[in-house]
Formats: sequence, C-alpha cells, structure tokens
Amino acid sequence: MADIRKPRADFSDVTGGSSSTAPTPEWVATSQTYTVAKGDSLSKIARRLLGDASLWPRIYEANRSIIKNPDLIHPGQVLTIPAATGTPHTENI
Amino acid sequence: MTLSSPRAMLVALVLAASLTGACKKKDSGTPAADSSPAANTVVLQVQSVDLGRAIGADHRVTATSDDFTSRDTVYVSVASIGSGTGLMTAHWTFEDGQVVEHSEQRVSPTGPAVTEFHIAKATPWPVGRYRVVIALDGREVGNKEFEVK
Repeated sequence: MADIRKPRADFSDVTGGSSSTAPTPEWVATSQTYTVAKGDSLSKIARRLLGDASLWPRIYEANRSIIKNPDLIHPGQVLTIPAATGTPHTENI
Repeated sequence: MTLSSPRAMLVALVLAASLTGACKKKDSGTPAADSSPAANTVVLQVQSVDLGRAIGADHRVTATSDDFTSRDTVYVSVASIGSGTGLMTAHWTFEDGQVVEHSEQRVSPTGPAVTEFHIAKATPWPVGRYRVVIALDGREVGNKEFEVK
C-alpha cells in the first residue's frame, strides 16, 4: 500500500532519447497520421492522402502492428501515413 | 537381338515404361525446398537488452548495472538481428506506477544492429525502483528493473 504521506515523485523534467545503428526508413521523415473514419478503406485513404489507391500496401506495411487484416480497419484507428515519395521497406515473408 | 521380334519389343516396352515412370517420379511429388534468399532471411528480432550508465560508439552499454545514483543518465541498449522494419519502444515506469518516459525508434536494419534508449533528469532521480519495458511492434521483447539509491 502506498504511503499517502510521501509526496508523489516528480518526473516533469525527465528527458528521453534514442538512436540506432540501424537505418531509419526514409519515408518516416515526412510521414503523417490519419484517424480512420467510417467507410474508409486502405485504398481510399491511399487515394486521398497519397494520390494513388494502389499505394495502400505502404500504409499497411507502416501499420502492421495495428492492422492485422488489410481488408478490415476500424473507425478511430490512428494510422501512420508514409510519404508518397521514397521507398518503403519490404519485409521478407 | 532385333526389335522386330515380339520378345524384344516387349522388353523395349517394359524398359520404356520404367523410364517414363522414373521421369514422372522425378517430375511429381513434393516440390524442391525453396532456396530463394527470401526464405533464408532472418526476421527482425531482439537478441538482448542491457542496462547501464554509459554507452559506447557502437550504442552498446559499456558496463551493465542495475544500480544508479540520483544524477546518472540511464541507458538501455537493445541488440537485434535479422532484417525488417519495426517500431521499437522503451517504456520507463517508477515503482508507484507513474510513467517516467516513453520513447519510440523506428528501425529498418538489414542485419545485426543496436538501438539505445536513455533517460536523464535535470533534478535528482527519486530514490526507488524503476522498470523499463522494451517492445517491438507492440510486443514486449525484454524488460529490466533497476534501482536509484
């Protein structure tokens, strides 16, 4: 049980960071986020935001941790939208 | 022996049939194992997680420790192997459940790599126990506990 007399620890001045020896996907630098609305599909989102519906796999690849089935997305999901330019990394399956 | 004789023709037919069957056996059945580069590629995965007070140029912790002073910067280095694109995160919490820091690093390695996360504080760290959880694409791949004394 927490001691109610002990002041709550203050972490407001904490700074964090990260770096990696691995390259960062080049399209990340100019990516944006998009909140899925009712009636959306990956191809519709790709057409609207990337200018080409056939680029929907890039959105899927950028959000594999969120999207389990590319044919099924849900309103409210926040997706990372990669830039239309640049080459997304293709995973070896 | 000439093929004009019935016996010779029968032998020839039997031989031809057996050869055809052998060829069919070679052509059918289980396909050869996929030896393409894609099949042999190791998928991105975390190999180790280390905690310490400093890192080297290679992003690896120079001396592991789970005890820190109130003025230390805390580093965690995550060694990975394989290739792929993934979102690596470090989620730092204090013993009372407060979130100290949450950091993200998107990586796209093509082989062994090391990613480091660190936290620092302008004022002394509160004494107590802390925890950092490392996740890759939302799945926990390691965690470390440490104490500030």
